[in-house]
Amino acid sequence: MNRVKRFFRYDNIGYLFVLPAFIYMLYFVGYPIVSNFILSFQDVTVKTLKAEEKPFVGLQNYIELFQQDNVLTTSIWNTFIFTVGCLIFQFIIGFALALFFNRNFSFSKPVRGLLMMPWMIPITVTALIFKFMFGTDVGIINYFLKSLGIISQNIDWLTNTRTAMGAVIFTNIWIGIPFNMILIATGLTTIPTELYESASIDGAGKVQTFFRITLPLLKPTIESVLILGFIYTFKVYDLVYVMTSGGPVNSTHMLSTYSYKLSFEMFKYSKGAAVANILFIILFIVSLLYLKYVYTEEEA
Amino acid sequence: MKKLAALFVATTMIASLLAGCGAKTSTEAPAAEAAAEAAPAAEEPAADEAVATAAASGDVTIWYYWEGEGQQKALDTLIQQYNDSQSDIKVEAKYVPFADFKKQLSIGVSADELPDLVILDNPDHAAYAAMGIFADITDKFDVSNYYEGPINSCTLEGKLYGVPFGSNCLLLYYNEDMLKAAGKEVPTTWDELLDVAKACTTDKVSGFAHCALQNEEGTFNFLPWVWSTGATSYEINSDGGIKALSMVKSLVDEGAMTKEAINWTQGDTMNQFISGNLAMMINGTWQVPTMRTEVPDLNWNVAPIPMDTKQASGLGGENYAVIAGGNEDAAIEFLKYATAKDQCLFMMNAMGYISSDSTIAEGQFTGDAVYEAFVEEMQYANARGPLPEWPDISDAISLAFNEVITGASTPEDAAAKAQTTIDGIVGK
Repeated sequence: MNRVKRFFRYDNIGYLFVLPAFIYMLYFVGYPIVSNFILSFQDVTVKTLKAEEKPFVGLQNYIELFQQDNVLTTSIWNTFIFTVGCLIFQFIIGFALALFFNRNFSFSKPVRGLLMMPWMIPITVTALIFKFMFGTDVGIINYFLKSLGIISQNIDWLTNTRTAMGAVIFTNIWIGIPFNMILIATGLTTIPTELYESASIDGAGKVQTFFRITLPLLKPTIESVLILGFIYTFKVYDLVYVMTSGGPVNSTHMLSTYSYKLSFEMFKYSKGAAVANILFIILFIVSLLYLKYVYTEEEA
Repeated sequence: MKKLAALFVATTMIASLLAGCGAKTSTEAPAAEAAAEAAPAAEEPAADEAVATAAASGDVTIWYYWEGEGQQKALDTLIQQYNDSQSDIKVEAKYVPFADFKKQLSIGVSADELPDLVILDNPDHAAYAAMGIFADITDKFDVSNYYEGPINSCTLEGKLYGVPFGSNCLLLYYNEDMLKAAGKEVPTTWDELLDVAKACTTDKVSGFAHCALQNEEGTFNFLPWVWSTGATSYEINSDGGIKALSMVKSLVDEGAMTKEAINWTQGDTMNQFISGNLAMMINGTWQVPTMRTEVPDLNWNVAPIPMDTKQASGLGGENYAVIAGGNEDAAIEFLKYATAKDQCLFMMNAMGYISSDSTIAEGQFTGDAVYEAFVEEMQYANARGPLPEWPDISDAISLAFNEVITGASTPEDAAAKAQTTIDGIVGK
């Protein structure tokens, strides 16, 4: 009894408050991760899904995926190209727009609000609209390019293995700009205006102010935006699934879409789990780097 | 800001995990619930049996994926009539979207949360039968009058694991006005198809297309070319297989078939056809009711798919399958009712399907030339599989024609690659 009393006397009571969240995390985060790893070390297919004892095959699924299955390497490569391609443009355009709307001219607020639209439209809807717009014979994009005289023949955007990835990236950039813009705009408001005033008194030019004041002070924001953007973009699924389903000829398969295809279209549950784990491990490493970074920053 | 961001990372990771592993998360909780529910449920029928000797009673849940309003209403009417006709069995239907159907069934298997009866796409039947989730109903159901193709799709290793719901097959649809304007007759051979398709192609109109998605739907539409040469689904790297791939390649290369077909479902293809963007297409029986309502004024007709050495079409359709360990007796009772002549005819006509029961199919569409052409074509319709690994085979085939259509690979290379995969499965 005394022990119990002592346990609750001081800070220990905190553990009790954390307990519900801990159980929640254990069940809804811990369990699926562990279960998914176990699944990826077994050989679960149509024939063994209902079996009591699932055959344990160790790392065989991973070895087979890397050695025999060039779709896996393609999809890892694709996922990185997609993520980096999207991030660069989303970030630069988002940054430019944030700076532009930070100038507080008339209508800057309502227009900035309107620019949030792409972020609010459900991704499936966006994907369908862009699928139509990128159509070869009836798509509006080819129509415009043709009327402007840029191209003479229709480009088969989504049905050509060389252009499909570009079209998907383009769509995702359009979706992601508002996210980058709003976070950077928020970061900009935290920079005291006095700094700019004194800089202008000291005779600093626009370019100098940007590189000496804006960028350094925005560094934490920029890092957050890029890492969050990386995670959001890396696990893309719905956009690609609706626009191309990974085609043509696997040229836009991402780790997520390939994992889904293996599990639920080809019934290779263990291989699907292995691909999902590869996706998880990559994101896990990125998150760890980020958390470590945040931790050191806060200590400093 | 940073704590907030850290929280973001955490939530994002949880979300990504739930998306990836949600399927597996649900394994335990529902299983426990199911067990809890199962206990009293198991007692009830026993008690009923003590009172009345009727063997079958209780609830029967059906999963199906038809999204058309007319189709759903037809099934509801059938079930309502059955529930009103007797008091022991209560049937209930649950709609699961087609895109989620395989996923839901797989999850259901690992979570022990399956319905009692499913209506599923026939090429997937063998895979699920191999999983052991379907009840063996050999000798419990009379299928002697059924067509061979549909029955084969429900059979695995000589045992019957289901009953065909209804069948459909593919034909060439053509726009009569466009062919007339081009001064062409309906093509019957591959050369004629290329010629007519080229003649009908204009700025706005593509001469020909069929759904060529890189999935089961695309494979279904492509395989008739292969079968027409005399090759089987498992002989892609043969003279016939390569010939079929080269034929599709020349259609695309000469602009007679639009490349966009690799992104079109069968429904999309039909929409392009009725919007006047397509002169000819390959499509299935089930499009007829929609086309008649949507574009009553369009002059279109159907003809056999142009052939190489023999006439061939693809067999589609759904099967009923009784889930093993569910309320099997009651499900079979309902099946007997649903497949009896009157009910079967009602469902087939409402859905635009052909009955798989030859005694019902003959005379089902007397006087309707379009449907009669489909019934006639049924004897040339080949089933896909049946093989538990059919999804793998199908994937290899659809990859091959996608490589050829996009120009990523030559017909010979694509065929050789597909054959390696197929041989690895069939084990030649």
